[in-house]
Amino acid sequence: MKRKTARNWALVLCLIMLVALVPGCNDTKAPAPAAETIKLGFLGAKTVNNANYGIPGEKGMKMAIEEVNAKGGVLGKKLEGIYEDNKGDSREIANIATKYATVDKVSAMIGDPATGLTKIAADIAQKNQVVIFSAGATGTGVVEIGDFVFRNTLLDKFAAPSVVDWMINTKGWKNIAIITSMNNGYSTALTPVFKTAIEEKGGKIVLEESINDKETDFTAQVTKLKQANPQVLVFTGYYTEAALIMLEAQKQGLDIVMVGGDGLYGEDLKKLGGTAVEEKVIFYAGFSADQPSPETDAFIKAYRAKYNEDPDMFSAQYYDAVMIIAKAMEAANSSDPKVFKTELAKLKDYPGVSGNTTFLPDREPLKSPVFLLTVKGDKFPALLEKVPTSAPQQ
Amino acid sequence: MLWQQLLNGLTLGSTYALIALGYTMVYGIVQLINFAHGEIYMVGAFVGLFLVITWDVNLGIAMVGAMAVCMVLGVLVERIAYRPLRGKSSRLSPLISALGASIFLSTLMALIAGVNTRRYPAVVDLSSYSLGPIQVSSMQVVILLVSAGLMIGLQFLVRRTRIGKAMRACSQDLDAAALMGINVNRVISYTFAIGSALAAAGGVMVGVYYNAVWPYMGTMAGLKAFAAAVLGGIGSIPGAMLGGLTLGIMEIMGVAYISSSFKDAIAFGILILVLILRPQGILGEKKNKKV
Repeated sequence: MKRKTARNWALVLCLIMLVALVPGCNDTKAPAPAAETIKLGFLGAKTVNNANYGIPGEKGMKMAIEEVNAKGGVLGKKLEGIYEDNKGDSREIANIATKYATVDKVSAMIGDPATGLTKIAADIAQKNQVVIFSAGATGTGVVEIGDFVFRNTLLDKFAAPSVVDWMINTKGWKNIAIITSMNNGYSTALTPVFKTAIEEKGGKIVLEESINDKETDFTAQVTKLKQANPQVLVFTGYYTEAALIMLEAQKQGLDIVMVGGDGLYGEDLKKLGGTAVEEKVIFYAGFSADQPSPETDAFIKAYRAKYNEDPDMFSAQYYDAVMIIAKAMEAANSSDPKVFKTELAKLKDYPGVSGNTTFLPDREPLKSPVFLLTVKGDKFPALLEKVPTSAPQQ
Repeated sequence: MLWQQLLNGLTLGSTYALIALGYTMVYGIVQLINFAHGEIYMVGAFVGLFLVITWDVNLGIAMVGAMAVCMVLGVLVERIAYRPLRGKSSRLSPLISALGASIFLSTLMALIAGVNTRRYPAVVDLSSYSLGPIQVSSMQVVILLVSAGLMIGLQFLVRRTRIGKAMRACSQDLDAAALMGINVNRVISYTFAIGSALAAAGGVMVGVYYNAVWPYMGTMAGLKAFAAAVLGGIGSIPGAMLGGLTLGIMEIMGVAYISSSFKDAIAFGILILVLILRPQGILGEKKNKKV
């Protein structure tokens, strides 16, 4: 027994040493630009967790690379995509990012759609001086990791104020109630963003309530809501609870519009909510296939022809990521991340298929417009309105 | 607003009471906290949903169907998970077995039905009526009436029938009851069947009322109902009813007049207070331990 334990410990030690060695040997060599092709690494899940973000992302990225290559590639070289499946797992993504940076020597990694996973890969990319371009991470502390880290997605801190502006100045809804889901990190982070914007734009918060995810009894909150009589309800949580709150409101005879973030973006909103949510729940997102710009229209048609389905936000953002990187490489006349990252940071008013993108001085993306989506009959999501993104106060 | 909130609380409380009855009946007889009870309630909600979707039955038939299926399920859980351990091992083993049964049932349902929240198709007219200052929905009326009816029925069963007499005898002393010729195992099976049927009725009504059915709905509801049973005095049937109603009203009033962030904290805080001041619960009997 004792001997066995000792042997196990020895094994574990050997493994630790091996793991420690792997990145160690490669750290010294910066990824040299490949001679034949310019490699781009895909970060995203194709199976297990978050695959519904990764699969369309991969399709968008593949399509962009094909289009660039059909036009002669970048700097006379072809683009080459490498598509590993990180399964939405933090260890997998660390291995894959290390492989991209040190074995494949990619110029840039594109992804991951999730904030937490992007941060893990960004640490590795920054250390190895490879550009990482997330097409979906909305959380905080991403671009702060370093100057090789970029992202291209609608951030709550820009979208929420734009939507609040629309509520107060376009719709005239000044008396606002706000509900937070206390055991939902997304919701507790989004509520202060909305509250600050409401105060800045001259709205009045008449009632603040809280719920918890996975609760089903919202009778007391809705009765209070009815009493407070706000013109609009801001709910910062997810679609399931949104649908249940609206059903309860319908039951108590309260006719109110609910506004929220892309946490409300889920098919179940319509399935659960039915008539209670129809044109009454409005949420924002960075992409809509309705009323497209000419660029988006061409993208949607090509995507439908190729994959026989509609593109979503992730396919559009991965597509844009490839195009933006290709553009920066051309401008910098180099596919070396250390060189073209400076051009990348200068991006201004890029008319992408997922909206207009500008990188601010801190490399945060300012995307416009914000799409307000809702449920209309059988259509989900249906575009309600496009609102311009309010420029942030610097 | 006070009356509206009171009605909200009564409705929520009746559903807690229906589940709490199952806990208290089982505890009264075998001194076991049946942690799988919340899952029986969940299965009841799903069976009702299945009946409504597949055969388009009305609410009454869905409820009866769910009660029948859950009766069998409750008896099966007792046969498989608890009976083999009874009397042969420490009091702790059936408790662990109960937790296992609870996890098994919710996971099994997640596998069968998926983890997404589902809603009942419109089985009852969900419209509401103005009654002075308050809005009463038809489902609230159904919940209050059916719960009251089931609870009265249960009282009748326990007080006036032979099996009820046997149950009361078993709850006083299991061994003595067995010596008097009562088939204890049969009585226990009956107890599980009745408790499970009540929970199933609650599950179907909650599913319709709140429009939400999902595989893990039993865990929190079970916990609340257990708290309600303890509050009322575990082992006491009127206690479970009173405990359920009290807990439901406290929760709603906590949200209405104090703060919705502290909803559960208020409810459970009062529970702790009651237990400190009156450890046997509101209607529980003080038992003098024989040495």
